[in-house]
This record gives sequence, C-alpha cells and structure tokens, in this order.
Amino acid sequence: MSIFMILFTLLGGITLSAQSAINGTFSRKAGTIETTFLTFLTGSMFLAILILFFGQGDIFAIFKAPVWQLSAVFLGVLFLLFNVFAVQKIGVIATSITVITGQLMIGVVIDHFGWFNSLIITLDMKRLLALLFMIIALYFIYKGNKRSHEEATE
Amino acid sequence: MRYIAYIFALFAGVALSFEGAIYAELGKNIGKLETSFYNFFMGSIILGLLWIFFGKGKISHVVEAPKWTLLGGALGVVYLTAIVISVPFVGVGITMVAVILGQLLMSMVIEHYGWLGSKKAKINKEKIFAVISMVIALILVN
Repeated sequence: MSIFMILFTLLGGITLSAQSAINGTFSRKAGTIETTFLTFLTGSMFLAILILFFGQGDIFAIFKAPVWQLSAVFLGVLFLLFNVFAVQKIGVIATSITVITGQLMIGVVIDHFGWFNSLIITLDMKRLLALLFMIIALYFIYKGNKRSHEEATE
Repeated sequence: MRYIAYIFALFAGVALSFEGAIYAELGKNIGKLETSFYNFFMGSIILGLLWIFFGKGKISHVVEAPKWTLLGGALGVVYLTAIVISVPFVGVGITMVAVILGQLLMSMVIEHYGWLGSKKAKINKEKIFAVISMVIALILVN
C-alpha cells in the first residue's frame, strides 16, 4: 500500500514539472498574468467537482477561519506568478531546482522555530550540511544552464 | 538579467513553504480539498483583478492555443491531491522526497527532449551533479 502511495506522490512531482513546462509554453503567447489566471480558474473548476463528490470538510467554515490562515492565498498567487515568469527565462530544470531550494531553506527555518504550530525540529549539523548541498546544487545548475545556453547559441 | 529569474524562483519556493505550513492549519479547520479549492478560487479572483489592471498579454490565446497547453490547472490539482492523500499514509518527509524526485527527474527529461513546448536543453554533467547534490540535501534534511 505505501509503495503505491509513494509512486502516486512521485506522479504528483511529475505533474508539477509538466505544469511548469506547459505554463511556460502557453505564457510565451498569452503572457504571465494571463497564464496564471487561467491556471487558477481551471484549477478551481476541477476542484469544485472534486469537492462535490469527495469533499469531507466544511467549505463554509472559511468565514470563521482566522484571517492569517486565509492570507496564504497571496503566497499561492506569488508562487505561480514567479514560477511562470522564471520558466520562460531559465527553463524548467533550473526553475525546479531553485524553487525547491527556496522551499527547503525556509522549511528548515520554519521547523527550527516551530512557526505556524509546526513540529519543532532544531537546525543541527545534518541540516546545515543539507543547506550547503542545496547551495552547491544551485551553483551547478547555474553553470550547467549557462553551458547549454552557450552551446545552443554557438 | 538572468539571475533575476533565479531570485524570483527562490522566492517562489519560499512562498510555497510558507503557504504549505499555513494551509496545513486551515486544512484542520475546513478540510484539505476545501483548502485547495479556497486557494484556487480566491487565487482566480486576485488574478482576475491583476489581469484587468495589469494584463498586457493576450487572454484570447485560450481559444486558439492547442488544447493541451490549457492543462496547467488540471495538473496542479493532481499534484495537490497526490500530496493530500499520501501524507497520512507515508508522512510529510517521504512525501516531499518523492514529490521532489519526481519533479527533478521529469524536468530533466522534459528539457532534454524539449517536450511540452519547452526549449530543448541537453542534459550535461553539471545538471546531473546539481540533481545529485539535491538528493543528498534531501536525505540530510529528513
């Protein structure tokens, strides 16, 4: 069962990359804001159907939820806008690696301080080393991308 | 100017982490699928406004573009649903590792072959080193 779940999650990552690539393609003709708008719009249509059939929560509890929790939507909007923008400029793999680095770096910080009621996991040697490897990854992707770019223009 | 795109992508990741942590709390209040729906629905409203005031592109491209280029939203929903379903079974750590691995492998393949309309860029040893460093970082974080 859990192997199946892990494969399913792997598929989740695959779709996320496919989304970046597709949105990058669409935005070249339609524009960054337009592409992001369309992604949110069609996404909410699909989710409306999913909720009708499989929703177990209470959507109307939104009106009682604290404002700080609701404000996360602005972050969601920023994420997609920046993502669409970056893919156009530096490509899918560089965008993915850079986004993941940002995600993990702040993830480590959030864990360290236990913000937003998360589990407190202090920053230890292992995690510092992990941060170092992320920076190395960023360096390599920047280098590798520059080289592909130079080879393409030669 | 290219480094600006890297900074934007880094901020996108930062935003995603904060968003995830906050939405985990909202999910306890209103349900997980409902939280995703809230995100996409409110996001459409915010972007609708942004588009009206600042949109310089061409939204009508929707009707003339090949239909597969419109699947971005649907794919985003698959991603979210996969995460929501698997976290209770295998935990956040393994879920994140699996998602990120899927993302990295797929990005390499997409770009190498120039699939889905992306610019074709051959895999080189720097890119492979970058992915290996990411995998090491992932193992160390968990």
